[in-house]
Amino acid sequence: MTIDELRAKAAERQQTCSQIKKMIVSRLDLEIEPGWITDDQPLFGRGLELDSLDVLELYVAIEAEFGVALYDSEMAVFGSVSRLADEVNPALRATA
Amino acid sequence: MPSVLAATHPTDTVYGEVGDATVPLRFSASSASSAAEYGVLRERAAVLDLGGHGLVEITGPSAVDFAQRLLARDVEYLTSDRCMMSLVLDEDGQVVDQVVAFGREDGLLLESSCGAGGRLLEHLRAHQEDGVEITDRSGELTVIGLEGPYAWGVVGRLIDAELASLPFESVADATWDDTEIVFARTGLTGEYGYQMIVPAEAAAALWTSALEHARPAGLEALELAMLEVRQPIPRHEATPGATVIEIGANWLVDITKDDFVGKDAVTEAFESGGGRRTVGFTGCAGVPAPGTRVLAGGQDVGEIVHAVHSAGLDATLGLARVDADLAAAGLELTVGGLTVTTLTSPYIVPKSWSIPII
Repeated sequence: MTIDELRAKAAERQQTCSQIKKMIVSRLDLEIEPGWITDDQPLFGRGLELDSLDVLELYVAIEAEFGVALYDSEMAVFGSVSRLADEVNPALRATA
Repeated sequence: MPSVLAATHPTDTVYGEVGDATVPLRFSASSASSAAEYGVLRERAAVLDLGGHGLVEITGPSAVDFAQRLLARDVEYLTSDRCMMSLVLDEDGQVVDQVVAFGREDGLLLESSCGAGGRLLEHLRAHQEDGVEITDRSGELTVIGLEGPYAWGVVGRLIDAELASLPFESVADATWDDTEIVFARTGLTGEYGYQMIVPAEAAAALWTSALEHARPAGLEALELAMLEVRQPIPRHEATPGATVIEIGANWLVDITKDDFVGKDAVTEAFESGGGRRTVGFTGCAGVPAPGTRVLAGGQDVGEIVHAVHSAGLDATLGLARVDADLAAAGLELTVGGLTVTTLTSPYIVPKSWSIPII
């Protein structure tokens, strides 16, 4: 791939990650800017320190915003924003 | 400084110098030992000699205010039953250390990262003010860790099963064999993790007792498992000149806090949006050295920060710091003429995420 093609591919994932971060900050009423959350940072326990109630809220928010139901998923989908991006935008995995 | 547990370790333990500490890298001279210790950590329960972590006590009437100014996370209301991980930064926003701060009745106890106790102590003393006492407790106390998907079972057999189910980052004063210890639910690898801060004179007995229920794992296995879940390892990742944003350790900074040493520099780095970002990768043959150039489409876009052979992936696993617009999973980049693929973290899903504490 050329560097421009790689940048375009990166931009697609970063765009999905950005959308997820905005959703998290909005739904959980966090005081930080969405961009402060990194794509790779842990979400559950360490990192963003989400608890089980937050995760329930995110299940609902993800279905509403992305049309993807994650209710029966393993906790690994909340391993990071980038991991969530793979779930809500499967096209990212398909081209990975 | 050697571990206070050195006399209890096998004679063929391989040690390494990490900062100001001499720490067990693996508990056998066999090169296969690290992979076996890693397997114990990821599949069962490992006991860790964390004696390379310095312990610094901050007391006095201004102790909390001082810690609030020196630590990048908010510790103002850190009670004696809680602990938290935080960066400590200098005025330029450079990482001095990554600590675990324990709330104590009379102040705080800071646990440094491996080999960084002296550096932390020097930094704290350089900023010391009236009403603050800073005491190096590293000689009197040491840290023993338990980590793994069944580490909770070891806690139950070793001390008290109720301690195993403490919430994450909870702390309890406990007793083991008539010795008072500080017990904390922590974790560095995504697995169930616990730490025990123990008087040095009791450490060997507790270590030996823990070995009746768990196997030891050295720093090589521990750091691999940390890398796999993107737990920052400051001695590898906090390279000179790198900002917190470039390291990707934002979550160890409370940017909404009123003020702390280094805040202006971190805020400026964040708002500028420039610089590079860190992303995980796998692939290529061998383990590229830090500083090895990373190419995208033939152009130089960054460098290797840290890489190892991952026993879990059976492949090279590392971190690269690349231009921000290329810091994303799923890209094929070139390192040393070979193709690598960038990854989504965690790179290994910890077994503990699917195992309840019984």
